[in-house]
Amino acid sequence: MEPVRYDDRQKIVRLSTEIVTARRKRNWRKYIYCGLLLFPLVALIFGFFVIPMLYILYLSFIETKGETNAFYSIGNYVHFFTDSYYLHSLWLTIKISLYTVVVSLLLGYPVALTMAKCSPRVRGLLTLLVASPLLISVVVRNFGWYLLLLPNGTVHQLLISLGITTSPPKLLFSEIGVVIGLSNAYLPFMILSIATSLYNIDPSLEKAAAILGAGPLRSFWSVTLPLSLPGIVSGVVLVFSMSMSAYVTPALMGGANVPMLPVVAYDQIINLLRWTYGSAISYILLGITLIMVTIFTRMMEKGRYREVFR
Amino acid sequence: MSILRRLRLLLAIISLIYILIPLVVTIPASLTSANYPSFPPKGFSLQWYTKLLERPEFAEAFWNSVKFAFLASLFSVLLGTLGALAIAKYDIPWKSYLVSLLTAPLTVPQLVLGIALLIYFTPILLAGTPTGFLIAHIIICVPYVVRFVLTGLSGFDYNLERAAAILGASPVLVFWKVTFPLIRPAVLSGALFSFLTSFDNVTVSLFMVSPEMRTLPLEIFSTMQDAYSPIVASVSSVVILISIVLILILEKIHGVGKLLGSTH
Repeated sequence: MEPVRYDDRQKIVRLSTEIVTARRKRNWRKYIYCGLLLFPLVALIFGFFVIPMLYILYLSFIETKGETNAFYSIGNYVHFFTDSYYLHSLWLTIKISLYTVVVSLLLGYPVALTMAKCSPRVRGLLTLLVASPLLISVVVRNFGWYLLLLPNGTVHQLLISLGITTSPPKLLFSEIGVVIGLSNAYLPFMILSIATSLYNIDPSLEKAAAILGAGPLRSFWSVTLPLSLPGIVSGVVLVFSMSMSAYVTPALMGGANVPMLPVVAYDQIINLLRWTYGSAISYILLGITLIMVTIFTRMMEKGRYREVFR
Repeated sequence: MSILRRLRLLLAIISLIYILIPLVVTIPASLTSANYPSFPPKGFSLQWYTKLLERPEFAEAFWNSVKFAFLASLFSVLLGTLGALAIAKYDIPWKSYLVSLLTAPLTVPQLVLGIALLIYFTPILLAGTPTGFLIAHIIICVPYVVRFVLTGLSGFDYNLERAAAILGASPVLVFWKVTFPLIRPAVLSGALFSFLTSFDNVTVSLFMVSPEMRTLPLEIFSTMQDAYSPIVASVSSVVILISIVLILILEKIHGVGKLLGSTH
């Protein structure tokens, strides 16, 4: 082979630098395209989501005294945690959310199980029936329950004719009404999360349990239920956090009798115009929900069935 | 076995009734001839539908809802699709953080979002304006579009785009003939989903409205709070029927369950 001559070598160097710069140019162009495509979306989310959220966080640390006097303090938070009215409202919110979670779990699991066990066609139909109410306004769904829960209405009559009670409790504008409204609104989320985890269970596991002599109840208790825990956990987290911050249903089904925290926050912001305090309530609501959800998830993931979560 | 199975079926049917019954009772209740809402309805008449036509605020609110839902879904689809295309195609540093940021509005309660936007909009004079209302609705719709389109692009083979480009197609033609047809179901369902999300929204809208600009769910909400009248039943029935049509279209395009499964 002939040795490469000096000017050839130079040519090679020149050509390769050209290729590199051309590539770099194309990369550069790529970044511009990418930036142009992404910029409007990122700007929108930053300008109208991230900044407003940070702004009310900042406001929540401002205390106002009178018209002009404003200073930095944690006074809003102190006020919340020392006033029994707000503490009671927080407790009520947590209690109703927990009831809602229990009701949707108990009502949701059998549907999810049925969806996992039936033929694909029935599964499609069931999914449609379960999921489509989510796309109909919650106001409309609450009105339906309002009709059913009226004094001497259908549910009252049903309770009496079934012999469960002779003097039915107040359903509308009470905690029961709110739990019914919320669990009706969020049940589909619970069902869909549990169903997703049930679909992922290997059917041969249940066969194996049957071969080893487990009856259907035992196989459900030791195989299906533990393996569906990830779905249960995500459903519980979803339903709990949505119930904690729901405004429309407590306002319509509970009214003034059930002052849950979102209703109180709305009142502070819209009617009393106490923006700094309302901002603090928003972050307290977010923080407490986050803490409770994290503790619950950690407990489940470190619990007896921790392998299921991997 | 069969007893257990029957028990499971019975419980499942009870919960399905529990989910669907509020929608089922509303339509007969709207045909009542009484002056108060009740179920079962008393008598039969269409008077609450004719009364609905006599109340122009409901028709106006309906058109407001349609208008804003259309604009919100249009902008969400445009911004969301372009953004998702960029995220899926290019190597972006901290990509997963970017996706979490763009879908974060779904994880913040709508109540808190409404409060934040109202407080933020007031000094910059957007509170109570149509623009502010529209921006708020785009913020709650656009994360869905981003998720749907990213899911739609997850198995996309970029060699198809390259092949089209080598064969001489301009970038616009490549997008129109190769990329878009493949993500069309995701984009269409994003559009319909955004429309319904915006059309149904109450919580965020409550903080964004002014007396002159109201949407249908808000009108129902305030009528329900002030005076319970069977007119709520007739408006609700109209909303239910419209929603059912849109849901069936969505089911044909993509499957409602699949969509909600991919969002939660």
